[in-house]
Amino acid sequence: MMKFGNLLIAGITTGAIYAMFAVCVSVWYRVSNILNLAVGDFAMIGALGVDNLYRVKGLPLPVAIVCTLLVVAAFAYVYDQVVLRIAQDGPQRMDGIVVTFFFTFALSFFIDGVAKMLFGTDVHAAPALWNGASLSLGSLHFERAGLLVLACAVIIGGAFWVYIRFTLGGKALEASGENSVGARIVGIDTRRYRRLIFVGTAVIAAVFGIVESPLTGFTYLSGATISLTGFLAAAYGGFRKPGRALLAGLFIGVLEAMLGGYVSAEYGDTVLYAILAALVLAWPRQLGFESAVSG
Amino acid sequence: MTAAETPETENAPSAGVALAVRNLSVSYGNVVAVHDATFTVAEGDACAIVGPNGNGKSSILMGVTGMIRRRGAVEIFGAQARNGDVRWAARHGLTLVPERRQLYPDLSTADNILLGCYTWTRSIGKARRSGPFDRAIELFPELNLHLKQLAGTLSGGQQQMVAIARGLAADPKILAVDEPCLGLAEAVAKRVYDALAKIHQQGTTLIVVEEAPKRALTLCNRRVEVRNGVAGDSVAGAA
Repeated sequence: MMKFGNLLIAGITTGAIYAMFAVCVSVWYRVSNILNLAVGDFAMIGALGVDNLYRVKGLPLPVAIVCTLLVVAAFAYVYDQVVLRIAQDGPQRMDGIVVTFFFTFALSFFIDGVAKMLFGTDVHAAPALWNGASLSLGSLHFERAGLLVLACAVIIGGAFWVYIRFTLGGKALEASGENSVGARIVGIDTRRYRRLIFVGTAVIAAVFGIVESPLTGFTYLSGATISLTGFLAAAYGGFRKPGRALLAGLFIGVLEAMLGGYVSAEYGDTVLYAILAALVLAWPRQLGFESAVSG
Repeated sequence: MTAAETPETENAPSAGVALAVRNLSVSYGNVVAVHDATFTVAEGDACAIVGPNGNGKSSILMGVTGMIRRRGAVEIFGAQARNGDVRWAARHGLTLVPERRQLYPDLSTADNILLGCYTWTRSIGKARRSGPFDRAIELFPELNLHLKQLAGTLSGGQQQMVAIARGLAADPKILAVDEPCLGLAEAVAKRVYDALAKIHQQGTTLIVVEEAPKRALTLCNRRVEVRNGVAGDSVAGAA
């Protein structure tokens, strides 16, 4: 029972990270019809950027964090204004599978290359924001960084839920994703929402990278793995349902922890992906995969 | 394609000009859909834009409202409209109810209507308590039972009512309705036209694009005819 409880805690912590990245992917896909395959790279930049500014350059930790987040926001803004604007708003608007994947896939490679030059190839992590030994409740153990991850997930996820559910701006955001022509008719600036969400999710990803990196450590290539898991969880909601993506992220995290603990630490991931694939094959419509394919 | 402007009644309204369109042209790539269209709609008018399918009627509305870029000049209540800026047009009183409704299918009926208020407020509380929102809901009491239902699950007629209600929630002075009865049964089409008549009676200037002039002219006192092959008239389109 103790083992189960601790695995559950570990699974929920990992799942919260997957869930947040899945929400980032699906919210932006709703608005832009582009899959953000670079979302994990923004997390990596967050973690390694803070580490570099704090440990190597000697800046105070709050300054390092603010500077890193500002750089991520500015870079995402410029990328949207220059590349995505030409792709989606230019005189020859591009559509289809190439746009859906290409621009953020290229961005992911670009960020990885820059990170390799700036931060090298070693494993690094942002300094722990909440120092000390893990906390215990009876026989259950809680990593402090894990609790911070969960707190961030609850605060950011909750704020986003309130925004969507209870504000006209949130409903306008949903409308942008549902029907961009219908959104423009009532004066919704769909481009502004695309930019806002792209920059916002990049900063959120960077925050999670900073908070989570003490648990796992990051290299310049870590972003791709995070993006892939977020992408997979988002796919369970047809890429368009952030609520489902969140649940899928949590589910994948818990399943991964349980398989690692009870089945095999070595082959846990293999079994995990086999189960996920089997679920898709068994219930493609219910899990949103058909809508993901048909758009 | 060419269009002619025809007053349908002897007593054309003498009120101010709500909409003035001069030399409007709209193209899709190399295909010219509307060429040099010129017409005016007076305040309080109900104006029908009629003509066969594919002759540029909808493109005129799309160009005028800024949904697509245009050449030529458009004035809304005397102010020069910005090209391609739908929000500007909506804020200056011109709202489009588009062909095929263009609703948000996974949002509720109430949210669809509420989003019409986005043209003039960002506050959901202010929108819910507003006169335009109440007016939109009151005009279609049959929607009351479906306010929480997803718009995509409504019938075609109900969806058309939601689209018109969303337009009204924008508090328009001019409501431009594109093919309001497309695909609707006759009884439902009549209901939609009754609602449009009521909107007009309440003082909103109406522009209705219709393929069937007979139905449009039961309501409208002016007509802009878009048709092929008539040269030298005031409004012209080309497919």
